[in-house]
Amino acid sequence: MQDDTTLIQQLKIRDERALSLLYDKYSGAIYSVILKMIRDEGKAQIILQDTFMTVWDKADGYDVNKGRFYTWIYRIAKNKTLNVLRKTDLLIQTSDFSVYTDKEVSISMDPEFLELKGSLNKLEAHHKEALELVYFKGLTHREAYTEMNVPLGTFKSYVRQALKQLRQTHAKTLSLILLILNAL
Amino acid sequence: MIDTKSLLEQGLLEQYLLGELNAVECEQIEVLLVSDTELKTYLDRLDKDFENIGLENAIAPPAAIKAQILERISASTNRTAKVIKLKKSNTSKFYLALAACIVALLMVSSFWMYSQLNDMKQQLQTVETDNTELNTTIEVLNTKLEETNTLYTAIVNPDTEQYILMGNTSLPEAKIVSYVNHNTKSIVINTERLPDLDVDHDYQMWADVEGEMIDMGVISKNKSLMAMTYIEHAESLNVTIEPLGGNDHPTVSRLVTNVYLR
Repeated sequence: MQDDTTLIQQLKIRDERALSLLYDKYSGAIYSVILKMIRDEGKAQIILQDTFMTVWDKADGYDVNKGRFYTWIYRIAKNKTLNVLRKTDLLIQTSDFSVYTDKEVSISMDPEFLELKGSLNKLEAHHKEALELVYFKGLTHREAYTEMNVPLGTFKSYVRQALKQLRQTHAKTLSLILLILNAL
Repeated sequence: MIDTKSLLEQGLLEQYLLGELNAVECEQIEVLLVSDTELKTYLDRLDKDFENIGLENAIAPPAAIKAQILERISASTNRTAKVIKLKKSNTSKFYLALAACIVALLMVSSFWMYSQLNDMKQQLQTVETDNTELNTTIEVLNTKLEETNTLYTAIVNPDTEQYILMGNTSLPEAKIVSYVNHNTKSIVINTERLPDLDVDHDYQMWADVEGEMIDMGVISKNKSLMAMTYIEHAESLNVTIEPLGGNDHPTVSRLVTNVYLR
């Protein structure tokens, strides 16, 4: 992750190779977020392309002190996806924002793409759902807690707990790997 | 103002990272992060957690997307670069051409002016020479006019008397008209009808005063009208042929004409 600093500096001076490498590293994660939000492969691909064009054009605006590069791209992608979703909402004349999360709008993609992978699956169901809502569905905390039908404070602690447990599983995995490596 | 405790309790850092907060809230959190290193460490950890979730769930997008992005980028950079280059070279070329034109114009015009200057100098010289010549001519003419005027005045004066000297037998074709004014004491002669002499001789005029011949001057060969020296109490005018330049005493044997004054 350390080499990002150099790549980002190169990106800021409009080095195409830097963008190519950063794309290789983050496009999968970003594409997954967009897909899970918009549930349409065609639109997701357009938004992904758009996102990286913005990354290229606005690279100067990224401040390393305000968070990781991934998070910066994540926010750009999320905003773009939300904008597209809002436009679609306006078109079908529904003021209820949760409409697309309840009634699955048009799913034009492999349903497998909606499944969560990795350590998230080791979480308890409500922790996993809380994270999924805010992280992959683009809901704000305020929208998500009504979605889950729990008080806001409870919802917030779900998110915090979920993240804490994730870190612990990571640490376990890491120590396990280290143990194995040591044993070898 | 948000403090660190409520920040953690309200899950604001999570919302901050997920981009749920507005600009004012973000700024407040960023201010806190600068002063609170512990908070910054906590945020960095959260940040990393979020990234891990994302990377774990990565779905590879079609390879064509990357190709399209890179194509769009190189197209846009190439276009801007090209435009700038063209503009630059265009303007510099334009200025270069302009400068060359000005230089060429200056060279042509200065060459033209130089040749003009030379022409003018030559013309001025010609004019100056002509002017000098003209001045000389005018002077000559003036002198001649003055002379003629003097002679004319002398001739047309009512007191002037006219005596005609006819050639004697040695030179019968000779004729001199003389105009004598005793008041102004002047004598002018017209020698138009005096035959030409050889280069070694001159006509000389004498006044007879009580039997003595007094020199009145040598008659010029190239003047047809000239003034002679007036002699008081002259009884007659006599013309002899003398050696070139005149003689002190008249050679009486070579007298060609004479006339008695009244």
